[in-house]
Amino acid sequence: MWGTLQVVVIYAFVLGSLYLLISLGFSIICGVLRIFHLGYAYLFTLTVYLVWMFMKEFGLGLIPAILGMVGVQFIISYLLYKGVIKKYVEHEEILLTGLLLVSIIVEQGVNYRYPIQAGVFIQTTLIEGSSRIGATSISNQLLVGAGIGILLTILFILFFLKTKTGLAVRGLSQDLYSSRIIGINIEALYTFTMFLVLIPVIVGTLIVAPAWAVDPGMGSLYMTTAILVSILGGLGNIKGTIIASYLIGLTHAVISFVVGEPRFMNLSALVLVMIILMVRPQGIAKSEALW
Amino acid sequence: MVDAEIKRDRIIIRHKGKKWDWMLEPRYWRNTMIWTALLVVFPIISYFVSPILLTTVITANLYAAIAIPLALMTVGTGRLNFGPNFFIGVGGYAAALLSIAYGWGPLKTLPFAFIFSMASALLFSPLVILARGLYYVLLTLLLPLVFMEVTFIYTDIFKGDVGLSGIKLLVNLGRVKLNFLACAYISMALMLLYLLVVNKILKSRYGLIMATINDDEEVAHGIGVNINKVKILAFIFPAGMIGVAGWFYAHYFATFAGITYLPLSFMVKVLLVIFIGGRTQVFGCVVGGYFIAFLEMILISTLGEIQPFVFPIILLILLFALPEGLFGIYRRRRYREYLPTLHVRR
Amino acid sequence: MSEILKVRNITKSFGGLTAVNNLSFDISPGETVGLIGPNGAGKTTLVNVLCGSYYADSGEIEMDGKRITRMKPYERCHLGLSRTYQIPRPFPELTALMSVVTSALCGKKRINRGLDDAGAEATHYLEFVGLFSKRNILARDLTFFEMRMLELARALATTPKLLFVDEVMAGLNPGEANKAVHLIARAKEEFGLTIFWIEHVMAVLMEAAERIIAIHFGEKIAEGPPDEIASNEKVIEAYLGSGWKGKAHA
Repeated sequence: MWGTLQVVVIYAFVLGSLYLLISLGFSIICGVLRIFHLGYAYLFTLTVYLVWMFMKEFGLGLIPAILGMVGVQFIISYLLYKGVIKKYVEHEEILLTGLLLVSIIVEQGVNYRYPIQAGVFIQTTLIEGSSRIGATSISNQLLVGAGIGILLTILFILFFLKTKTGLAVRGLSQDLYSSRIIGINIEALYTFTMFLVLIPVIVGTLIVAPAWAVDPGMGSLYMTTAILVSILGGLGNIKGTIIASYLIGLTHAVISFVVGEPRFMNLSALVLVMIILMVRPQGIAKSEALW
Repeated sequence: MVDAEIKRDRIIIRHKGKKWDWMLEPRYWRNTMIWTALLVVFPIISYFVSPILLTTVITANLYAAIAIPLALMTVGTGRLNFGPNFFIGVGGYAAALLSIAYGWGPLKTLPFAFIFSMASALLFSPLVILARGLYYVLLTLLLPLVFMEVTFIYTDIFKGDVGLSGIKLLVNLGRVKLNFLACAYISMALMLLYLLVVNKILKSRYGLIMATINDDEEVAHGIGVNINKVKILAFIFPAGMIGVAGWFYAHYFATFAGITYLPLSFMVKVLLVIFIGGRTQVFGCVVGGYFIAFLEMILISTLGEIQPFVFPIILLILLFALPEGLFGIYRRRRYREYLPTLHVRR
Repeated sequence: MSEILKVRNITKSFGGLTAVNNLSFDISPGETVGLIGPNGAGKTTLVNVLCGSYYADSGEIEMDGKRITRMKPYERCHLGLSRTYQIPRPFPELTALMSVVTSALCGKKRINRGLDDAGAEATHYLEFVGLFSKRNILARDLTFFEMRMLELARALATTPKLLFVDEVMAGLNPGEANKAVHLIARAKEEFGLTIFWIEHVMAVLMEAAERIIAIHFGEKIAEGPPDEIASNEKVIEAYLGSGWKGKAHA
């Protein structure tokens, strides 16, 4: 009983921190750009497979490959914003379907070039092995990932609270027209946000890649978690996203270790989200703003 | 009980103090008649040309038969359901499981597929009322994905990845080609029935009430519309219709696997039928269905393996190039009646 | 004579702000009651509570003897309550005719009405407000005055017993304002309505209303016939500030 509690708490903490890395970007895009980036799933797939491609096709080492991938991701984000999002922000149904199509295109393209049998594997393990904490052992990689997740989140919070750009982004997330009037450069900030959210996603994916599954369809799995966390926390609100990440991490931990059925993780998270939405339709967050 | 009266230009039905009239306007029938005749003749021609055309016709009819109730659901609830294939999964699995477990034929499983889909819609109907605009999009998006996970989890019952087999065939006339022909006509009948029903609903007083809810909910509430009841009914009834499409898939292929119909790739095809066909214009769904089905067939036969990659790219280009959809271009020249707008963020 | 509307101790707060504070009044059938108050006094909130857009935090509302405090807006409409909106809210994608047809269909429950019959009724109301020639124009393409008239037609088509008129004069020039006042008076006579009229333009209420209720900060400060209200000290203070107290003339 005490042992199970320890396991649940530790895994809730680790999973929650990792989910933060995954979901923070989605939530911030929702809050600032006020769109649903349904193509968010492609970020995960591209991170892993671009690195693999640079390493295999161009013979680069791990670090140069990662840098190359980051560069390509920046370019793609920029093109996506300018070409798709900016044009169709008025016609949301087209925008959402288009973004969905983008993630499917990426998934199918990756599947064509590197199907699941190709055995893609990124050696980004920072610390080998696993540690024993209390009654359970947990992969070091995941622990490191959790730590990095918390660190990045704190950095983000500090950025939004303390810097001028962060303040501008927060204002933008609250009211578009007022921001225009006081002279905020909306376009630049939007593009900046698209770039900003790449950071937690890339870091998070690279860290969990050796530990969790890598296949062309991995995007939709992470995306589901990101969506659930963001809805539960209240779209676009960082405080809510943090709470929701840990809540869902806790749910997953409980379902895996107490109930003993890890297959039900996503389903139970969905049920939790729906129950909470019935009680509080706008999610956990108290406000619609970024913080 | 129910009184029907036939006058020169209308049929009047009275029941319990309510009155419905059905205007008969033959002058509007000409175009519909021509197109229906063309549609009906097409399968026979395909029969003699190639069986691939026949199967594509069946696929097209089914895409349209899914898109038409989805259009009704969109107009009625005021939001676009991003996961209609959830109901296909429910209907199909209901039909498949009943057929395998009890050996029932397609006619017996049909009402159950319909009822089960409606029941699952009823279960999730609080979504329609409680979830605001974009939350609704996300949650409906998740439903089929989570259902797919359930089919994988309970793999002994659902066989999510491999699929159930041994379902009774829809028709068995001996030769495969004849079966295809029969299925083509059954699917066409289904699609035309849906077209008739949904068109009637949208043009009637119920369509008008749904239009007011779409435009301004609070005001509609104030002039006496029970918005929650309309929304829930507009969610449940089309869900049942979509479930019947799942029933058809199950009995037509004699297998049914969650992985075929529940992932994003299938869902996006259905959504594009609506967008390319012309938003909520029901006749546009038929055009969209045929267009996408034939596009897919052409790509598969010419491109082979790279087709799953090229197909969404082409769809994306079409999505941006045709903001009004194919039918919208036709409609621009002949504006006739109210066309509700599509709201996502509310 | 039984009251058509009984409002008892209605309170409505939004967070820390009390918009309506312990308000009570009655309305008798066939009356025209006016409601005045400076900006922010809580008039629109009161109407929203009475019509069902918000639920009151406490208090009771009775209409024709039935307690409607917790009823949904459409149920209140079926009982005979209807309203117009301060800022016209037409159905943007519907034509004028179709807007009123919906009202006629969904208003009070009447038997034996198909879509066509509702259409005929709707044209009657459109003719009454003078919009018959504009019936096939999209509601959002009408002029401001026509939109107000459409609002009125839409409210009338639900055959109400009690009509809430919310600042119908705002934004109208004198000619249009005159037309509107006469139209409402005609409507009252022809359709046998009771009218609860929220208004800023005092001159209108002086003539049209039999009784005026004045509120300020959500509380009732005066109630009585128009000339009494016009010289009531508290009312003058609410509108003009305390510097004018005592300078009013009879």
